[in-house]
Amino acid sequence: MGPLRDPAHRLSPKARRLWALESVIGFVLLVGGAILVGHWVGGSGWSWVPGWMAEYEWLLPVLVAVAAGPFLAAEPFVRYTVHRWELSGDVVYARSGFLTREWVFVPVSRIQTVDKAQGWLERLLGLATLEIRTASHAGSSTIKGLDYQVAAGLAEQLAHRAEQLRDDAT
Amino acid sequence: MTQPAPASGPPQPLPPPVPMPMRLSPKVLLIDPVRMLPSLLLPLVGVLFVGGFSPRSFLWAAIGIGGTIIFAVVRWATFTYQIVGDRLELKRSLISRSVRTIPLERIRGVDVTTPPMHRLLGLAVLKLDTGASGGAEQEGELDGLEVAEGERLKAVLLRRAHVPVHEDQPHARPQPDNVIIRVPRAWLLYGPLSGAYLLTPFALAGGAIGLAFQWGGELGFRDEAWDLGQSLLDHPIFIAAAVLMLVILMPFVGGVMYAVFHWDFTLTRRDGYLVAERGLINRRSVSLEARRVRGYEIADGLAERWAGVARAWAIVTGLGDSETRGQLLPDVPRKVAESVTSAAIGPYTAGLRPHPPIARNRRLFRAIAPNLALAALFTPAAVSWSPVWWVLAGVAMAAAVAGIPLGLDRYRSLGHGYDGVRLAVRSGSLRRSQAVVERRAVVGWRVTQTWFQRRAGVMTLTAGVGAGEGGYSAIDVSEAQATDFPTEVTPDWILPFRR
Repeated sequence: MGPLRDPAHRLSPKARRLWALESVIGFVLLVGGAILVGHWVGGSGWSWVPGWMAEYEWLLPVLVAVAAGPFLAAEPFVRYTVHRWELSGDVVYARSGFLTREWVFVPVSRIQTVDKAQGWLERLLGLATLEIRTASHAGSSTIKGLDYQVAAGLAEQLAHRAEQLRDDAT
Repeated sequence: MTQPAPASGPPQPLPPPVPMPMRLSPKVLLIDPVRMLPSLLLPLVGVLFVGGFSPRSFLWAAIGIGGTIIFAVVRWATFTYQIVGDRLELKRSLISRSVRTIPLERIRGVDVTTPPMHRLLGLAVLKLDTGASGGAEQEGELDGLEVAEGERLKAVLLRRAHVPVHEDQPHARPQPDNVIIRVPRAWLLYGPLSGAYLLTPFALAGGAIGLAFQWGGELGFRDEAWDLGQSLLDHPIFIAAAVLMLVILMPFVGGVMYAVFHWDFTLTRRDGYLVAERGLINRRSVSLEARRVRGYEIADGLAERWAGVARAWAIVTGLGDSETRGQLLPDVPRKVAESVTSAAIGPYTAGLRPHPPIARNRRLFRAIAPNLALAALFTPAAVSWSPVWWVLAGVAMAAAVAGIPLGLDRYRSLGHGYDGVRLAVRSGSLRRSQAVVERRAVVGWRVTQTWFQRRAGVMTLTAGVGAGEGGYSAIDVSEAQATDFPTEVTPDWILPFRR
């Protein structure tokens, strides 16, 4: 975004592996679902199903794979360049997104809770997600794919600083 | 997170504390059985029928009624409330003992309502708004206080709940009632424009039909009802006429409902609270703590804009059900809505900046394209299958044409601005709404850009606010505006990240 600079820090390089794994899982689910639907509609013998559709029931999964494949393949790399974060001047500045980009500014003085969470994939890779919450969902931020040590340190730092700065105007 | 209430501020004169546990008014016993009657009626009638109206069946029915009354009495006798130190304790010891303790500093508002039967008996229902997220269960309710006791308790609860006094809010100290506006009854005529309650005739008709079939069986005219329904189906013209009737009734019934709910709407300032009272049958009073009010929302639909009227809501932190509770004004002339919100909460003095012209194209595309696509989909269906599809294609086409003024108007509505104290964002056409929020209520900024927005060079900027809807968005601002606006409102938060 024009007048803004990039946030200073990237995520852990292992985050690419996290997204790649998620992509693979998503791909398997999508194509598997398409196979099931194609088989179900093709074998149903419903009157409105044209003959060619019943004959080529493998067409749907192939189409789904061709359409979704490139997106899912590109996602880990795109996300790794887009997702960045920074804490300076007592403001958390984070960028994220794949097709839809998102920039979030959360001043530490308005933070209510800081949580770090780990899904099972993240646990496998030694990553963590930092959830920074304010009184508003629109003013809250979730930073996914941080190195566990970085996330723990940042959570500690934010919680400590938020305690000092706490401003109850909200 | 809770913070202990700071014991600042001048000592306030408190009404004498209640020394002992109090009960609800015994008159509530007249209401409880009546309220239970509908659910009791069928079993009772059933008992009488099954028993063939024998003396024994009457005995059982009497036992049933007696049991209900005893239950109500015991429930009344075992429920007490008491202010202990800085908490309100609600004790129920019917079967298991339960004590609900509500810290007074947690009480953010007290609603007093008087449903019809309560009003006849001079009773009121007190609802405590504690900002708890667990729904109605978590909030306290005292159903059946004498009106005087209700007012006394409300005064005690609000006075005690309300501790800090801010310098910038001089009205936060006790002062006599100050009526901000008493909405004239003539303005109730604006009601149908709001579009509220317009579906009431259909809801009433649906309810009546449902009831006819449900009770028809019990009362023995189910067959007649079925026959009537059957003959109606044979003559669709009757159904069409009935629907037309209901449509014609819409503004009238809707207007009456509106008048009943908004009768004598009064907005008052009392001891650091904004108190909104309204209602003809069920008089309702909502108290909003002034120091929790962060701004307001002024909304007007198409018809309302044509008539130059608008409605207003307060944006309050931690207010559940804000759509009904936060209402500051029903439909009043726009000028009045602006001056009342200025007086009650604070003025917004700057104008609104328009969004870039590309936003107009996006509004137009979004209003027209989906309908056009539908029309394109229906046309081949009409050619190849049945001419009935032409009707649908025509409707979709008409909607697409109507999308042109709609899209243009949506663009005209877009705007954002900042006057040094409050920021404002506006959007929408069928329901246009402008939110005005204090700067200090902003807890963060979020900028989003979809793939389509990226190609158009626009973004959606959302100010996170810990009140109301949680965030208010300026839709399709230019990339420069998306950074300049937050920089203008909260320079410290954005400047470190600018190039």
